[in-house]
Amino acid sequence: MGSLEEKVKLPSLDDWKELAKVQMKGRSVDDLVSQNGEGILVKPLYTENDIEGISFRDSLPGLPPYIRGTQATMYAGRPWTIRQYAGFSTAEASNAFYKKTLAGGGQGISVAFDLATHRGYDSDHPRVSGDVGKAGVAIDTVEDMKILFDQIPLDKISVSMTMNGAVLPILAGYIVAAEEQGVSRTDLSGTIQNDILKEFMVRNTYIYPPGPSMRIIGDIITYCSMEMPRFNTISISGYHMQEAGADAALELAYTLADGKEYIRTALKAGLGIDDFAPRLSFFWGIGMNFYMEIAKMRAARMLWHDIVDEFKPINPKSGILRTHCQTSGWSLTEQDPYNNVVRTTIEAMAAVFGGTQSLHTNALDEAIALPSEFAARIARNTQLILQEETSITDVVDPWGGSYMMESLTDQIASKALDLMEEIEAAGGMAKAIETGLPKLRIEEAAAKKQARIDRGEEVIVGVNKYTTTEQDEVDVLEIDNEQVRESQINRIKEIKAKRNQEALDGVLDDISNCAKSGTGNLLELTIEAMRLRATVGEVSDAMESVFGRYKAQTQTVTGVYGDAYQDDQGWMEIKTAIERFIEAEGRRPRMLVCKMGQDGHDRGAKVVATAFADVGFDVDLSPMFSTPEEVAKQAVENDVHIVGVSSLAGSHKSLVPQLITELKILDAKEVIVIVGGVIPKKDYQELFDYGVKCIFGPGTPIPKAAGEVLDIIADIHSF
Amino acid sequence: MKSERLTAIRSGNKRTLAKAITLLESSLDEHKEESRELVDEALAYSGKSLRIGITGVPGVGKSTFIEALGLHLLSDGFKVAVLAVDPSSPLTGGSILGDKTRMELLSREKSAFIRPSPTSGSLGGVAQKTRETILLCEAAGYNIVLIETVGVGQSEYHVSGMVDFFLVMMLPGGGDELQGLKKGILELADGMIINKCDGDTIQSANISKQQYISALGLLSQPEYWSTPVLTCSSFDKNDVVKVWNMISEYFDLVKNNGELENRRNKQNVDWMNALIKEVLIGRLNSSSEVRSLLVKLEGSVKNMEITPYAAASEVIHALDLS
Ligand code: B12
Ligand SMILES: Nc1nc2c(ncn2[C@@H]2O[C@H](COP(=O)(O)OP(=O)(O)O)[C@@H](O)[C@H]2O)c(=O)[nH]1
Ligand SMILES: [Mg+2]
Repeated sequence: MGSLEEKVKLPSLDDWKELAKVQMKGRSVDDLVSQNGEGILVKPLYTENDIEGISFRDSLPGLPPYIRGTQATMYAGRPWTIRQYAGFSTAEASNAFYKKTLAGGGQGISVAFDLATHRGYDSDHPRVSGDVGKAGVAIDTVEDMKILFDQIPLDKISVSMTMNGAVLPILAGYIVAAEEQGVSRTDLSGTIQNDILKEFMVRNTYIYPPGPSMRIIGDIITYCSMEMPRFNTISISGYHMQEAGADAALELAYTLADGKEYIRTALKAGLGIDDFAPRLSFFWGIGMNFYMEIAKMRAARMLWHDIVDEFKPINPKSGILRTHCQTSGWSLTEQDPYNNVVRTTIEAMAAVFGGTQSLHTNALDEAIALPSEFAARIARNTQLILQEETSITDVVDPWGGSYMMESLTDQIASKALDLMEEIEAAGGMAKAIETGLPKLRIEEAAAKKQARIDRGEEVIVGVNKYTTTEQDEVDVLEIDNEQVRESQINRIKEIKAKRNQEALDGVLDDISNCAKSGTGNLLELTIEAMRLRATVGEVSDAMESVFGRYKAQTQTVTGVYGDAYQDDQGWMEIKTAIERFIEAEGRRPRMLVCKMGQDGHDRGAKVVATAFADVGFDVDLSPMFSTPEEVAKQAVENDVHIVGVSSLAGSHKSLVPQLITELKILDAKEVIVIVGGVIPKKDYQELFDYGVKCIFGPGTPIPKAAGEVLDIIADIHSF
Repeated sequence: MKSERLTAIRSGNKRTLAKAITLLESSLDEHKEESRELVDEALAYSGKSLRIGITGVPGVGKSTFIEALGLHLLSDGFKVAVLAVDPSSPLTGGSILGDKTRMELLSREKSAFIRPSPTSGSLGGVAQKTRETILLCEAAGYNIVLIETVGVGQSEYHVSGMVDFFLVMMLPGGGDELQGLKKGILELADGMIINKCDGDTIQSANISKQQYISALGLLSQPEYWSTPVLTCSSFDKNDVVKVWNMISEYFDLVKNNGELENRRNKQNVDWMNALIKEVLIGRLNSSSEVRSLLVKLEGSVKNMEITPYAAASEVIHALDLS
């Protein structure tokens, strides 16, 4: 039996090029090469030539370097865990929701805490009045934790907790709640995010400065490696970077660099690599760049294996990158929201082809509010359908051996290596973060992306192409944060009245001393404090008094957005209008862009600020986490024409009216207030009634907003 | 006659003060007129603050230092005004003014007033109105005025000519190249600090300190004060207090020996000269006849039809008549 080649002479690549040229009416096939944000060239056709010299082309799943998967049989053996991130309002409400999800096919719990809790404030703290129970569940003490997990057997159900800032009281609260449920901590399984480095970069729920924050992580890893063998001590997250604007290469590189920093932290705390590395887990964001996302996940496993290898592990599990994934919320739109189901499905497929261990799929109302019950159901069902109705799970790493996929995997890996080298040269991620460079890189990528979308170079159906005027009615989950706050405050009062204050004060002092001396384990002490019914805020304060509270390092890119608009006519028209404004007013239009409450979503605020400055506004930035009173003071002192509130975490109905009141108190009622961000349409009228002049929702093209804002100011200053 | 505006400023109304500063910064002629009147009125109530200029390359830590110093001064019972002159973005854009993000705690305080100003616009822009702004802040009762200015370009010369104490901030290391600052800036300094002296940089900060001390030694300095060089971490309260003690020592000295008054009187002469220039240039631009004459003569000078000297006198003559 002769080989195939002997019988048929196959045409060559040159033959293909010729044919392509003819079919492209004379244009070269090179015109079809596309470049994405990562700077990686994607060709229209891949052949064997493209994988020449790639060492891992014949690797196998479950075996080093794990490109093809963490396990030998992957989903053919057992599919990924469906794990939907959720949490809102009170512990009671969230508990009811979790029980319902578990009954409906969910396979683990993933807790979303409210922003007050994230930042270490109790519900009765004056700085969080608009945030309690809004964007997650409010937890003040272990009593809330017990309600949160009521009738959920913690030895059987794995729990993932997205907590980074107030990680000590929350992890301790979970341990004590289990204890009082009769479950020993050794039987607890799940994950605590505990990834503080990316908080400084993109997620913004830090409390203490980087140094002490890393010490806390060291203490947690140390404690858990001895006491909680089934619990993942850290979820090293790239997801938030992608959502903040990072392309796949940046996400990959910075996340792995974070991971390396955590390894060093644990080693410094006295552990051996095999004591903790098997319990490190990862978290990727999965957007619409289908092939690249799969390549990213494959490359990540290979690179991590290499990184861990440097530290000479003996346990093979140490070098295996296990990951959770979440589809991209950023890719979802307020406009034509049912399209989001399709987007999420495609992204979920990429996560699955990439070999994820667990997955969250976003709800179709992502850009409107927290998921409604209906939207959450569809999101979960998307995964159930993938698992049970398609045959996708039957084959391990089906993209393995694809010329394209192997080549992209190789390319994104080497891009990431370059970026990681830069971080290493700066002395590792903790040091690099101090320079602000990684954050700035991501913000630059976000500004570029925004410009590409606003210019229509990147299509988003329903937003900048194929738009529709039809408005689909969608249910909106609405949370009465005032009511949640009140009930939380009452519970805190009750608990404080009943507890052994003296004993608790002693432990809180111990915590402060442990923070100061650097010896002892902060988690161990926090567990004691939580048993004695300390609040999250009290434990946080005990450490803040020693560590201090970290202040955001706000740097801004300039020129990136404007560069993309050079020679654009509409853009030039706004510039000219601004020149006219200056002639009439004696100065540029001046806007204060502010973030109020504990809302840490700063992508939109930053992008708007840089673009408005590029077109000719003077733009003031408020510090993150300002109160309405503080913003009013800033607006007055800087004498701005307009305050632009960027609100994404749902506190607009509490904080915007307060801001307007505060402006009046300062004799500044003429200062115009506009709002941007995630504002459900049904709230618009209420905000207008309070005096808000204009609202810009998700998907607003910035030049359009700039033009309108200019008109509003000009109108009021009547010329 | 005292205007209502001044009364409001003096009573501590921040809105009025802020709007008055906008008026000072305005490029419109009618606003300039109005603001000159206001400043003239305010003069009687000004002069009672310590005026401190703080300069250094972007990122050296000026804002962070001011946040720490300002909070310390508030706790000592001072009322603090901060004027920040930010670099504007390149080309034709506006500025991003993020100063308050670095002065988060200070900006919340009732007894602090922080005003960032864009430098964009013609001829160094609004930074030129900093002197007048200082006066208004004084009239409003602020007894410390801190002026943050970027030490690249011209602004530091302007600012040093309107303050009582000029503090230059440097980074550890790189003492020899003076970190992009012009050498002349050393001559302006009344005090220098090597900032970010913490963590890994303590050693190089001390080396830099010695380098600056010897560089300053080569300059002629007044008898009563030789510019001190201190190391500092703006994150360390004690360091900031140490710097403040150095500054207040200076003030004790110059208040007693009359040098403070001397310096301010000299600055007033400069100010007068600056005002004359400003008014004259304003008049050049405001008379359309003179302006068109100017354009015509520029052409003639270029074509060598008239000497620059003759052209200039023709313009001055026209100005006299207009
Ligand atoms: C990106 C994102 C994140 C990133 C944020 C990264 C960052 N540094 O900004 C990450 C992953 C970290 C994150 C985390 C969380 N998120 Co989030 N996030 C989003 C997401 C997907 C997109 C927001 C975004 O940046 N879009 C891109 C920018 C450019 O758009 P934009 O901000 O809307 O701005 C545009 C317009 O609105 C307008 N605009 C906005 N501001 C202004 C201001 C002015 C002056 C003007 C003129 C215009 C204007 O112009 C801009 C350009 O078009 C939204 C959902 C969505 N699709 O909107 C959820 C969303 C905002 N997040 C949500 C939540 C709950 C959280 C968490 C609190 C979850 C938790 N419990 O832990 C955390 C905590 C974050 C924190 N510290 O506050 C919820 C908020 C729910 C609510 N409103 O009730 C949302 C709505 C998702 C959802 N449906 O559940 N998130
Ligand atoms: N390590 C260290 N960092 C500092 C110090 N002072 C400022 N910084 C940091 O340097 C950066 C720039 O500071 P900033 O005050 O904005 O500088 P400015 O541009 O001169 O006003 C910020 O990230 C500060 O946190 C200091 O004394 N030590
Ligand atoms: Mg500064």
